[in-house]
Amino acid sequence: MKKTLALLLTGILALSLALAGCSSSTSKEKDDGKGGSSEAKGGVLIYGKGGDAVGLDPAIVTDGESFIVTQQIFETLVKYGEDDTEIKPGLAKSWEVSDDAKTYTFKLETGIKFHDGTDFNADAVVKNFQRWAKSKDEGKFAYYASMFGGFEGDEGHVIKEVKAIDASTVEFTLNRPQAPFLKNLAMPTFAIASPDGIEKEGDDFTKNPSGTGPFKFKSWKPGDTIEVVKNDDYWQDGLPKLDGVTFKVIKDNSARLNAAIKGEIDLMDGLNPSDISKVTGDEKLQIFERASMNVGYFAFNVEKAPFDKKEVRQAISHLINKKEIIDNFYEGTAEPAKNPMPPSVSGYNDKIEDYDYDVEKAKELLKKAGLEDGFKMDLWAMPVPRPYMPDGQKVAEAIQASLKQVGIEANIVSYEWAAYLEKVQAGEAQSFMMGWTGDNGDADNFLYTLLDKDNIGSNNYARYANDEVHELLIEAQSTADEAKRNELYGKAQEIIHDEAPWVPLVHSLPQLAGSKTVKGFVPHPTGSQSLVNVSLEN
Amino acid sequence: MPEIATNTPPILPPKEAEEKVISPWKEGWKSFRKNKVAIVGLGIVSFFILIAIFAPVIAPYSFDGQKLSDKHLAPSAEHWFGTDEFGRDILSRVIYGSRISIGVGFLSVAGSVVVGSFLGIIAGYYGRWIDTIISRIFDIILAFPSILLAIAVVAVLGPSLRNALIAIAIVNVPIFGRLLRSRVLTVKEEEYVTAAKAIGMGDGRILLHHVLPNSLAPIIVQGTLAIATAIIECAALGFLGLGAQPPAPEWGKMLADSRAFIIQAPWTVLFPGLAIMLTVLGFNLMGDGLRDALDPRMKN
Repeated sequence: MKKTLALLLTGILALSLALAGCSSSTSKEKDDGKGGSSEAKGGVLIYGKGGDAVGLDPAIVTDGESFIVTQQIFETLVKYGEDDTEIKPGLAKSWEVSDDAKTYTFKLETGIKFHDGTDFNADAVVKNFQRWAKSKDEGKFAYYASMFGGFEGDEGHVIKEVKAIDASTVEFTLNRPQAPFLKNLAMPTFAIASPDGIEKEGDDFTKNPSGTGPFKFKSWKPGDTIEVVKNDDYWQDGLPKLDGVTFKVIKDNSARLNAAIKGEIDLMDGLNPSDISKVTGDEKLQIFERASMNVGYFAFNVEKAPFDKKEVRQAISHLINKKEIIDNFYEGTAEPAKNPMPPSVSGYNDKIEDYDYDVEKAKELLKKAGLEDGFKMDLWAMPVPRPYMPDGQKVAEAIQASLKQVGIEANIVSYEWAAYLEKVQAGEAQSFMMGWTGDNGDADNFLYTLLDKDNIGSNNYARYANDEVHELLIEAQSTADEAKRNELYGKAQEIIHDEAPWVPLVHSLPQLAGSKTVKGFVPHPTGSQSLVNVSLEN
Repeated sequence: MPEIATNTPPILPPKEAEEKVISPWKEGWKSFRKNKVAIVGLGIVSFFILIAIFAPVIAPYSFDGQKLSDKHLAPSAEHWFGTDEFGRDILSRVIYGSRISIGVGFLSVAGSVVVGSFLGIIAGYYGRWIDTIISRIFDIILAFPSILLAIAVVAVLGPSLRNALIAIAIVNVPIFGRLLRSRVLTVKEEEYVTAAKAIGMGDGRILLHHVLPNSLAPIIVQGTLAIATAIIECAALGFLGLGAQPPAPEWGKMLADSRAFIIQAPWTVLFPGLAIMLTVLGFNLMGDGLRDALDPRMKN
C-alpha cells in the first residue's frame, strides 16, 4: 500500500518536472519569436502611457488618456498649431466670419473618406453637431454642454444652427458671438466622426471608432494596449509616416521609464522630474518638453472659516516660497505662477506683482484678522502625480512647514483620486491642492471655468463668487475684439489677485521621454497630439 | 532609603533556604547572561530605548525643521546622515523616529497582551461554549495575513498613527490569547490549583495568583518577539501612507518618501532602513535569548 503510494508520488513528481522543463523551453521559443518580430517592426511606434483610455469616441470622453488615442483616429474642422493654440485649417481648408461674428462659413476639404469607406462632407459635419446638440444628455456629451452653453433649446446655447450649403460648405449661425468659438471647435472632443459608423455601432462606437484621421483603429485590449494602423487612403499625401502606433499602458511612472530604457517602448509621457537625469544620461534616449499650459495651485474654500477672510488668504499667500518648491519638487521644470492662467495664454496680466515671501507681512495680516496666535486647518493633497504637480503630498508637506512659522497647524488629508475630486468639488475640503491643464488655450477656459460663480459646484472648487469678476468674464466671452478682451481679463486677474482665493503655485513643463530614433514628435500644450508627422529613424 | 530597609521586619526565609531554592527568574537571568547573542540584542534594544527617551537632548536639529535649499545634502560633519528632500536632518529624524517605532511596539504589544491574556485565560479556564466562541474568533483573525488585516482596520478607522497602533494591537491579540489559553489548560490541572480549589479559593484569586504568574514567562518571550513584528508592521503601514502622518519622522514613511531617490541620494533610504533593521534584530535576538533562558522545555 505504502509502496504504491510512494511510487505514485514519484511518478507525479517526475511528470511535473518534465512538464516544467517543457513549458519553460516553449516560453523561451516564444520570446525569441517576439524578439525577431520586434526587430523587423519597421514603423510601428510604441507609446507608453499612464492609464487606459476611457473610450474612443472623442465626443463622450473628457480625459487626456483617451484623447491621446482619438487624436490619431479623428480630426477636427480646425486644429491647433503644432505647439501652440493658434487656429490652423483642418478638415476645413478655409472659413469666413461675418461682421457681427455670428455666422461662420467653412469650406471643407474634398475627397476625404471615413475609415469605414463613407464620404466626409458637409452633411457629415451637420449630423455630428446635431448628434451633440439634440442629445440634451449632459452626462454623455459633457464637453459640448460646457463649451457651448448647454444644448439646443437651452437659454445659453451658443450654436443656433448648423447648415450644409453644398457638399463642401457648412454654415454655423450663433445665437450670440463667442470669442473662443474657433478655439473650441479645435478641441479634440469636437472631432468629426463617421455618421454611418455611429448609426451602425450605436453605443459600441466608442469601442469601434471610425474617423478621417491618419490612423485606423485596429484592436483594444482593455487595460493593456490599443493598436492603430496606417490609413493608406489618408487625404494628406505622404502622411502618416508611421505604419502604426501601439499605445501601451504602464501605470507607474518609474516602471514606464524602465520600459523606455530597455527599449520596450519608443515614447512615454509622465516622466518624473527627479528621473530627468536618468534620461539625459542615457545615450539612446531624449527628453521632450511639453510647452506649459497649466497651473498648479493651492486654493481655499472661501465659504469656510477662517478662509472667508481676505486677510487670512493674503497672509498665507505671503508664506509660500514658490521658488523653493520648484527647485525641490519640480527639479526646476516649472515657473512660479502669480495668476490663475499661464503666460502663454493671451490676456495674461504680467503687471500683477506677486505676493512676496514675507513672514512678517503674513503675521501683520493675521493680526488684522484677529488670528495672530494661528489656528488649525485641514490641507488636502492629491494622492497621484499630475502633470502640474508631480508629488502633491510633498508640496503639501512643504506648505505645512511654512504655515507652522506663524502658528498655523495644518493637517494633511488625502483620499483616493476619484473620491478626492468628488469631495473637493462638493466643497468638503477647507483648503486643497489642485491644478488645471487648458483645453483650448483661451483665457476663458481658465478664469471663467475655474473662478466664476457660474461654475461653483463644477470646476470652481474654491467656491469663489465675485459679481464684478463675473460681469467682466461674461463680457469678455461675447467680445470678439482681442485687445478689448485682454483688457477685461487683465482687470479680472487684478481683482482675483487681490482677493486671493488661490495661491497660484506653478506653471509646470511636463516632461516626456523617448528613444532618439523618434523624429518629428512635438508634444502639444493641451496634453494630447496627433502623431501624423512622427517617424522612426535609426 | 536605608531607614525603611532597616525597619522592614525580616520575613525573608533563612539564608540556607534561599540558596537551595533559586527563583526561576534568577536562574533565567543566569542563563540569559551566558548567551552572548542575547546580550547583544539587549544592548541594541537598550541603545534604541535610551535614544528614544533622550531624543530632544541628542538630536542636533528638530525633526520637522525644513530648509528647502539644503535638499539632499550628502552625509557630512554638519549632517551626519545627510538631509532629505526637504533639507531636514536625517539623523535627527531617525532619532525622533525611534520614539514612534519603539512606542508603537511597546504600546501595541501591551494592548494585545492585556486583551489577549484576558480572553485566553477566560477561554482556557472556563472552557465549554466560552472557549468555543473566543477560540473561533481567534481563528478568524489568524486566518487573515496580519499586514492585510492591519491595512483593513486602518482603512476603516482612517489613517493615523493611533489607528495604526490599534490595528497592530488587534492583529496580535490572538497570538497571546492562544498562548495563554494553552498555558491555562495545563496549569489548571496542576495539583496546587486543585488544592487551592479544595480550600475554597475563588476563581478570580486562583487565576490572578496562581495561573497568571505561571504563564508569565512565555508571555515575556512572545511579547519581545511581537514587539519586533509590531515595529515592522508599523513601518509597513507608514510606508503605505496608512500610519504616521507628515511631518512625523516615522521610519517606514521616511523610506517611502525617499525611495525615488535611492540612486541620487542613497542616504535618505539607507539610515531609516538600517534603524528598522537594527531595532527588529535587537528585539528578535533578545526574544530568542529569553526563550532559551525562560522556557522550561528548552532546558536539558
